[in-house]
Order: sequence, then structure tokens, then C-alpha cells
Amino acid sequence: MTDAVVIVLREVLEAMLLICMLMASSTAMGYRFKWMALALLLGVCGATVYALRLEQISMAFDGFGQEIVNSTLLIAIAVLLAAHNFFAVKQFLDPKYRIPYGPILLVFVGTVSMAMTREGAEIYLYGYSYGVLAGNISSVFSGGAIGVGIGLSMGTFFYYALKSLPRNKRLITCCVVSLVLAAGMMGQAALYLAQADLLPSQEPLWDTSNVFAEASLVGELLHAAIGYEASPSLTQVLLYVGSILTSLAAMLAAWLLYRKSNDVAVGATQ
Amino acid sequence: MKKATILTVVGHYLARASQILLLMVVASTAWAQIPVFEIEIREHLFFPAEFEIPANQKIKLIIYNRDATPEEFESYELNREKVIVGNSQGVVFIGPLKPGEYPFFGEFNLKTALGKIIVK
Repeated sequence: MTDAVVIVLREVLEAMLLICMLMASSTAMGYRFKWMALALLLGVCGATVYALRLEQISMAFDGFGQEIVNSTLLIAIAVLLAAHNFFAVKQFLDPKYRIPYGPILLVFVGTVSMAMTREGAEIYLYGYSYGVLAGNISSVFSGGAIGVGIGLSMGTFFYYALKSLPRNKRLITCCVVSLVLAAGMMGQAALYLAQADLLPSQEPLWDTSNVFAEASLVGELLHAAIGYEASPSLTQVLLYVGSILTSLAAMLAAWLLYRKSNDVAVGATQ
Repeated sequence: MKKATILTVVGHYLARASQILLLMVVASTAWAQIPVFEIEIREHLFFPAEFEIPANQKIKLIIYNRDATPEEFESYELNREKVIVGNSQGVVFIGPLKPGEYPFFGEFNLKTALGKIIVK
């Protein structure tokens, strides 16, 4: 049963931080959580389809379909998160502005459903094969429920910590979280593309596994939060940094486009 | 005038030589084979659990999953992760790596599916 707890928790944690950050961000943007129903529905559907079709998907693209799909999802999430930062900065500069429902729905629903598709597919595969088919339903499912429970409580703590911030600080903190999550996603995309020999692979640039081992609890949390890798390759580091720069560029673009005079921006405190 | 003629002739031969060199480089990369290694998953164990690969070289690893259940081949040190469904196979590229030991595991069977790649 403890196997199931660890496996499910690892997958849940990665999606949970993203979902909770977006929830806190949507409150700062004046939206409530109606988008979550659609996001969760699409996420569950996506995960189920991905898991059921995994064999065909893996065989596609010369046997690298899994890597192509995963890296595409990750890159798409990272791009949408940069768009989120663009809108968040615009909202920060103009509190009266209401982001059009269409674009923000795309950002929130798109990121959450894609993240859930990736993580959920693994949970589905594991639960079905090692739970249902193996006749181990109660132990795997109760372990999974505990994993989900732990993930949910960490997420709740994270959400309320963000929610406790005043609106403007919340927006900027969510931007920072979004920036870091996107960088982690791009680092992982680099992993999949190198695995498929679509991007160059190199020896790791450094090895901090004696500081924070990836297999440890702290290492897993850091991996879910900031995309921590103990021994990243150059390609991973480049994509990670590139993602940070892209998010910052999106924020800078919004700031340049929508700032009024300096006095007004400074005066807009809450 | 004489200098110009010499330069033209030298330039002509340099161009020829670099064309031939380029052709050789391109041909050699086409001929260069990436070593292929195979590993099996049977009863939630890896066979072989330990194997050696050459250092500083990219290799292709074919993972055959002989079990009916899926397994996820994963390694922190190698930065690789791939789900291989039951009765199926998957391919991952690994390396180039410095000499050392690089553990890997099956995420769905953490207690039994453990292995190590030794890079020499």
C-alpha cells in the first residue's frame, strides 16, 4: 500500500501546485472557480484517453510518441503560464481591468487539463494494472486515496497561504510561482526530447545529489515545486533558463504596454 | 598579377579539399553506429540488473516488458523516464556519460525493479 501512496503522491503533487496557484491567481483577477469544473473534466478525460491509448501513442513517431506528446504538453503549459504572467501584470497595473473570459479560460483550463492528462495517465495505468487487474483493489486504492489526501492538504495549505496575501502581492507571487513551475516543465521537456534523441544530450553539468537527493522527500518537493534536478544536462539548464527569460519577457511586455505614469502605478496599492 | 594567380590556384585547391573533407565527415556520421543494449522486465525485475556501457558515448537502450503489467523505467541519475505498457517494448537514448554507476528503477515496483548501469 505504501508503494501506491508514494506513486500517486508524486504525480498529484506536480499538478497540485499548479492548480492551487491558478486558483489563487483567479481570485486576484476577480474570477471564481467555475473554470475548474471544465478543467477537471477535461483533465480526467485526457488522462483516461492517454492511458488507454498509451501503447499506440508510444509506438508512434518511431517509438517516441510518448516523449513527443509529453514534451508538447509541457511546452504548451509553459507557454500558457507565460501568457498568465502577461495577463497578471496587466491586471496588476490596472486593477479595474477585467481580463476577457476567453483568453483567461484558455490559460486556466488549458494548463490544468494538460497537467492532469500527463500525471493522471500514470495514476490510471498504475491503478488499473496493479489494482484492478491484479486483484489488489483495496490496498492500491486506499494507498492512492492517502496519496491524493496528502497532496490535497499540501495544496490547500499552499492555496490559503497565497490567498492570505493582498491582491497585488498575490498576483506577483503567483507570477513568480508560475515562472518557476514553467521553468521546471521546460526542464522536463528537455529530458523527454533528449531521451528521444531529438535534442542533444550531454553529461550532467553538476551533481547536487549529496545536498538534496532527488529520491528524498525534500528532493521530491523541490522537483515538484521548482523542477529541481540533482544532475541536469546543459540542454535542461538552457531550456530552464530560457523559460524563465520567456516568462520575464512576457511580464516586461505587459509592463511596457500597459503602464501609465509612474505615480499612478505606485499609488495603486491594496 | 602573379600573387592573384597564386591565390586563385590555392583557393581552388582549398575549396576542393574542403569539399572532400565535408563529404567524408557526413559519410562517417551516417556510417557511425550507436551501440544498442537490451534489457528485459520479467516478474517486476530487470534482466540484466547490472550492465556496462562505454563512457562518453550515446547508446540506445531497448527495454522489453515481458510482464502483462506496465512498468515505468526511470532514473534520477540518467534523467530518463518512460512508461512501457505490458507485453511491449520501449526505446530510450542514454548518454554520453562520465564513468561511474547510474542506478535505475521501475517506478511501479520500487521494491524489486532495481538496476544499475556501470559506465566504464
